[in-house]
Amino acid sequence: MAGNQEVTRVLFQDFSAGAVRAFYAVGYAAIAVFLYGVYAQVRKYRRGAPAGVPLNLLPRFGSMLRIVLNHRMIKRRDRQAGEAHRSIFYGFVLLFIGTATITLDYDIMGPLFGVHFWHGDFYLWFSLVLDVAGVLMIWGLLYMMIRRGWIRPPKLDYARPDRAPGDPDYDRSFYAFEDWAFLWTLLTIGVTGYVLEALRLVWLQGDAGVWRTRWWSPVGAALAEGMRQAGLSDTAAGVMRRDLWWFHGLLALVFIALIPFTKVKHIFTAMGSLMFRDLKAAQRLPKEPADAAYPGAQYITDFNWKQLLNLDACTKCGRCHEACPARAVGAPLSPRDVILSLREFANQTLGSADLPPQAQLDVHGKGPGQVAQETLWSCRTCMACVEVCPVAIEHVPIIVKMRRKLVEDGAMDPLLRKTLQTIHKTGNSFGESKRKRAAWTKTLGFPVKDARKEPVDVLWFVGDYASFDPRNQKVTAGFARLLQQAGVDYGILYEGESNAGNDVRRVGEEGLYEVLAEGNITTLSAAHFKRIVTTDPHSYNTIRNEYPDFGGQYEIEHYTTLLLRLMQEGRVPIARQLKSRVTFHDPCHLGRFNKGYDAPREILRLIGCELVEMGRCRANSFCCGAGGGRIWIPDPVGAEKPAQNRMREAARIDGLQVFVVSCPKDLTMFEDALKTSGLEGRFVVRELIELVREALQTEDTAVAQAEA
Amino acid sequence: MKILVAVKQVAALDEDFEIRADGRDVEADFLIHDLNEWDDFSLEEAVRIKEAAGGTPVEIVAVSVGPEQADESLRKCLAKGADRALRVWEESIGGSDSIAIARVLAAVARRESPDLLLAGAQSSDHAFAATGVATAALLDWPHAAVLTQLTVTPGARTARFRRELEGGLLHEMETDLPAVLTIQLGINTPRYASLRAIKQAAAKPIEVLSLGDLSLGAGDVGESGSLSHVRRMFIPEKGRAEMIEGSIEEQARRVIEIIREARGVA
Repeated sequence: MAGNQEVTRVLFQDFSAGAVRAFYAVGYAAIAVFLYGVYAQVRKYRRGAPAGVPLNLLPRFGSMLRIVLNHRMIKRRDRQAGEAHRSIFYGFVLLFIGTATITLDYDIMGPLFGVHFWHGDFYLWFSLVLDVAGVLMIWGLLYMMIRRGWIRPPKLDYARPDRAPGDPDYDRSFYAFEDWAFLWTLLTIGVTGYVLEALRLVWLQGDAGVWRTRWWSPVGAALAEGMRQAGLSDTAAGVMRRDLWWFHGLLALVFIALIPFTKVKHIFTAMGSLMFRDLKAAQRLPKEPADAAYPGAQYITDFNWKQLLNLDACTKCGRCHEACPARAVGAPLSPRDVILSLREFANQTLGSADLPPQAQLDVHGKGPGQVAQETLWSCRTCMACVEVCPVAIEHVPIIVKMRRKLVEDGAMDPLLRKTLQTIHKTGNSFGESKRKRAAWTKTLGFPVKDARKEPVDVLWFVGDYASFDPRNQKVTAGFARLLQQAGVDYGILYEGESNAGNDVRRVGEEGLYEVLAEGNITTLSAAHFKRIVTTDPHSYNTIRNEYPDFGGQYEIEHYTTLLLRLMQEGRVPIARQLKSRVTFHDPCHLGRFNKGYDAPREILRLIGCELVEMGRCRANSFCCGAGGGRIWIPDPVGAEKPAQNRMREAARIDGLQVFVVSCPKDLTMFEDALKTSGLEGRFVVRELIELVREALQTEDTAVAQAEA
Repeated sequence: MKILVAVKQVAALDEDFEIRADGRDVEADFLIHDLNEWDDFSLEEAVRIKEAAGGTPVEIVAVSVGPEQADESLRKCLAKGADRALRVWEESIGGSDSIAIARVLAAVARRESPDLLLAGAQSSDHAFAATGVATAALLDWPHAAVLTQLTVTPGARTARFRRELEGGLLHEMETDLPAVLTIQLGINTPRYASLRAIKQAAAKPIEVLSLGDLSLGAGDVGESGSLSHVRRMFIPEKGRAEMIEGSIEEQARRVIEIIREARGVA
């Protein structure tokens, strides 16, 4: 590449001094507007409460950067959109670095140190890389346009389930306008960049250095060929280039100036949100500060700065909207719209220089930007939204925070109120006497150790549903028999056990949760055991992830991992292969919350079941509708329930025999839904424990029993 | 304005309870205690009067006659909006009938001189429905029972209310204050006392009064101060029923058999 040492790109050639000054003036103005916008946003976030977590900026920055660079989260469940975004992202980043390089050479290193590097081989490679970057960006933008304009996935429709047409904040057409304006602006900047490049080449075709190296800008050079063939002269190209240069330059500067004021700000807010992401956001809810005047969130300023940043990170991609079980059955809740409502509310109230009076900061209600009670109570806290959000928005803690205030004010369904009082009084949600908690053991024919009185290897935390619900008691007794057969040294807490509190906490009754957690921890710390096993995923989650915050550190596992181990050690005498065609429903609190996807599937394989997955499985499992205390709140009459929706999904599997669950609440919800959805007889709902126990019997005993 | 709300901690039976050795009550271990449901409504009514009062100060004082465990119910009252709580207890009060308890409440009312005394129409455990009206009699105050609606304007000297009568009739009445009014279930929707509020109420003091503080003597309460006494508490023997099946002859034969068995002729 000898002889290319001097080659570079013209910048302000033939510009009058006044024009150059004008350009710099506009440039500085754009930067000033940008900086003011950033300041206004930061001022908004600072009006939130302290987050109360250590910042750990460096490791957090590292993990954020990894996610941003590999685009792992944005590709999930929407591969094409993710790939297109990656194209736009890398194109944009390279073009930004390119522009910054020119500034570094021309405005900083040159004037200050007399050093110039933007020429020669470096410049040629630079041209090539940027040409490729432009193609990447334009390809991505075009795909996004096709997606919005023709593919039109339903999740990109901004129709709100929580508002009725005619409500002042029902209309979201501004968002659609903004989406298209964003796409067109970036596309225009990109395309005019190539046209400019081509015009410059035609204009300077007489310059041997420029012309000889033109294929280092392949797109521009090809365009230039076309222009020349169309008869464009060098002088005409020069004139056109000057006008288009201003258009391209001004558009780019306006774009930069508007970043903090438009959806473009997600470049920064999404990175911020990812940086402060809490990997246990839904699994471990935050404690209430002891000195707060009231619990939860009444005003927008009760949210912490991180949550306010979350609101601004949303890009309306609709993944949460699509995953939400409440939204799927027509409840007045979309996690997306909760976030967008609060964002609009925050912008309205916290966006300007002065903070409005407190009465105007109330986020509860039905006014513009407020969140209605029905919306908050529709949430199952199943974590589907948090799990799928590509920018780490933590919807569940935000919703529970608002619920905490509703609970304090008693604004809840009367049945829920009654249940909470019952749990306070009796320690269980069934309103049964504490003494009856272990009544199911009487049918066993062998004693179960009282872990409060003698040391055991395994302490079995049974949970409310498994202890009191008659249908689940059969499963519970079945598990006791399995443990007995396998020779496990285990015991239970008898009436010393209380509701673990997982769902009470997710309802938002933090005070009652504290009573339950502290009570159980006191009982547990008086007992001697090596580890806890539980048949209840809800108890599993709170004991595993939340009890440590209250001083209860335990080794705990869900029964599926213990059972799998026992089977692998040959301690469960499997007598036959069931050969059933089954599907497995991942319980939210076992799967999504705690990533216990594989043990139940492996157990199914060991007992010879043919597992056919539903479309929504593993991390994308569809909540049965019982979470977040919804099991204590009646569902609207006539409307589809999430569990019925799930039954219909399962019914689409050809020849399905068994719908397998591994959670007591799932068993209750799905057996009920199977009947009410009119699918009874098509397949049955069974607890995994029941299938394992079936596999213990030889073919002959099973047949004999079935005939008896 | 001051409203005195009389509340009781009632007992409910746990599963498989046993009768006390003296045969006059259930063994205490088998009882679950809670605030009387009716009293939840009367306290709520007082809190609503206070909330609707605007600028006029209203003080709500909850009072209970009972042992230390009754503090739990008083704390619930404090959590829901009572300003103060009083508990009267001495061992000698045990075994009091409703009239003796009313004597204690009347003494408290004289000490506190409220403008209004609210009580539940009855308690869910003993269901005499007498304590409230007896207190009014002892104070010589007007009274009305089983209210389903109440309107009191703080500062006014009268109260208006409605009572439900048989046959779908409503009684609308007015009374001079001070008065004793007993409240029926459903007059309002009691608010939820969050555990947070109950815990905060634990920090508020509950004033404990003795008979001496109320110028009462041991003879005014307990067995000696009561004219009615519990003789025994028991579970009645369950009747038996048998479904007789078969042909008419078989059925007739079985009936004759049963009659013979009963007469001891077999």
